[in-house]
Amino acid sequence: MIYVDKLRKEFKKTIKDPGLKGSIKSIFKPKTIKVIAVKDISFEVAEGEILGFIGPNGAGKSTVIKMLTGILTPTSGSCTINGKNPTENRRNYVREIGVVFGQRTQLWWDLPLRETYSVLKEIYEVPDDSYKKRMAFLNEVLDLDSFISSPVRTLSLGQRMRADIAASLLHSPKVLFLDEPTIGLDVVVKDNIRRAIEYINNQEKTTVILTTHDLEDIELLANRIVMIDKGTNVFDGSISELKTKYGQFRELYFETDSPNPVNILNYENHFNFKPDELNIKAEGKTVKLSFNSSIVPVSDMLSYTLGKINVSDISVKDADIEVIIRRMYKHGENL
Amino acid sequence: MKRKLKIYLPFINAGIQEVATYRVNWIFYMLGNALACFVSYFIWKAVYSSGGTDTMNGFTMSQMVVYIVLMFLTSTIIASDGAWVVGEEIRDGSIAMRLIKPVSYNATFLFQELGNKLPTEFALAIPMIFAVEVIRTTMSGEIQFSILGLLLYILSCIIAYLINFYFNICFGFIAFAIKYLWGANMMKNCIIGFLSGTVIPLAFLPDALEKLFLFLPFASLNYTPIMIYMGKYTGTELLYYLGLQIFWAFFFFALSKALWKAAVKRLSVQGG
Repeated sequence: MIYVDKLRKEFKKTIKDPGLKGSIKSIFKPKTIKVIAVKDISFEVAEGEILGFIGPNGAGKSTVIKMLTGILTPTSGSCTINGKNPTENRRNYVREIGVVFGQRTQLWWDLPLRETYSVLKEIYEVPDDSYKKRMAFLNEVLDLDSFISSPVRTLSLGQRMRADIAASLLHSPKVLFLDEPTIGLDVVVKDNIRRAIEYINNQEKTTVILTTHDLEDIELLANRIVMIDKGTNVFDGSISELKTKYGQFRELYFETDSPNPVNILNYENHFNFKPDELNIKAEGKTVKLSFNSSIVPVSDMLSYTLGKINVSDISVKDADIEVIIRRMYKHGENL
Repeated sequence: MKRKLKIYLPFINAGIQEVATYRVNWIFYMLGNALACFVSYFIWKAVYSSGGTDTMNGFTMSQMVVYIVLMFLTSTIIASDGAWVVGEEIRDGSIAMRLIKPVSYNATFLFQELGNKLPTEFALAIPMIFAVEVIRTTMSGEIQFSILGLLLYILSCIIAYLINFYFNICFGFIAFAIKYLWGANMMKNCIIGFLSGTVIPLAFLPDALEKLFLFLPFASLNYTPIMIYMGKYTGTELLYYLGLQIFWAFFFFALSKALWKAAVKRLSVQGG
């Protein structure tokens, strides 16, 4: 469905020395440097898959999305989506994709929301009866009816995002690109949007590429993760693979009456943890720690803890994907 | 063709609705223009009364009044915001939102702007043409209105608008290179004001300059339609100037296509 092969994007960036003097200098003699935003990234996405595309700010996620949607022309490398090259025949290509950029809107700012959809209907040449069916479907999934007559500029962010997603789906695209679709939204709206994405992926086998900083999005939606950092691919696989490969981490919570439990337990010295392998947060009576279970088995950890102090409540769980990814963002490729 | 029209017609519709949203802004815009028109009238009145002659470079004072009113009307009809809008979209990156739609970038602008302009044109053209005729008739004592002249004027204005639109789109693409267009846009407007005869009729310039300016595309914007309406061009001269207008329209249309192809490869969507 989607093949990305050694995709690369370089930008020229003007650099300016600080201050007024630097500004004046840069007017006459601009210095440019080459910035490699995306460095030979390759991956594939199968039909009907939801791919979570993650990475820290400035990793090059958006640049990749912009190349895949035909907005930017790659410096080298190629991408093929649906057997088509995005930059070769843009107008033909974009008929088959839907795009949402969480930070921008494709809706008509000053017009009632409904007008945007009727313009899109003509642009994508959707016949009348399928348009009606489609709008009914989208309304059911995204609940647009309550604000479809309001001008877009009066919508709340959550409403706008739902409306934007509906706009990207009006023509039943085969591939949906979502660049941070849950940015700045409250929990309820996030949940609503996630369910909508899942439902459409289920119903129509729409392939979805999703970038986000909200790892819950990834955990709930994505079948697979591609993680990039500084323009290169650092991980490609499923969430469970990510967990087994990097995430032998477990989280342990307990409550205790003993004063200063952390000092008494002194895990670092007892088990010889390296700084990366253990993370402790203690707050009053509760202690929360995450540790690498390939160094110390969970059972050892538990029996040691229970033997040392009085524990009133204890639980162990799989490490949050967040813990793993936080570690990966910090260390990049060297993990 | 019909299918294409169906795609782009909603843009006109949306454009009209946009204007309706900001009615007060629109009224102030029109008042501002009218004010400029009066300033121009009083300046020329002073020039004529101090000159001591009735006719200057083939223009009588009454013709000059007609020229000023028509200039006001024509420049409103052919006005295009393209350079500014394109420049802004490139600067803030919202150009990306147009690129993800299966439509021609230039055509969506054209039709949207037509929608923005149509209410203005109708609100303005009918009273202004009426005013021009009243002035002409009372000053010369006979009716000078000709339907053919009016139709030719409308045709010429449409071509002039297309020239202006595609010229502005081309100019806007400079933003791909320099990112922010405000300064360049101001400079462009000043130069065009002079070259197109908006500031003073080209007939007032030295012969060599007048000939040069008449050939440049900018005379085709304002000066040609006005001269046609005033009946100063007839016969082969009329055909020549209409032909020249069509030539420039095609020239900038083709140039905008070529520039777009070259520029879109250089696009670096800023922000986000």
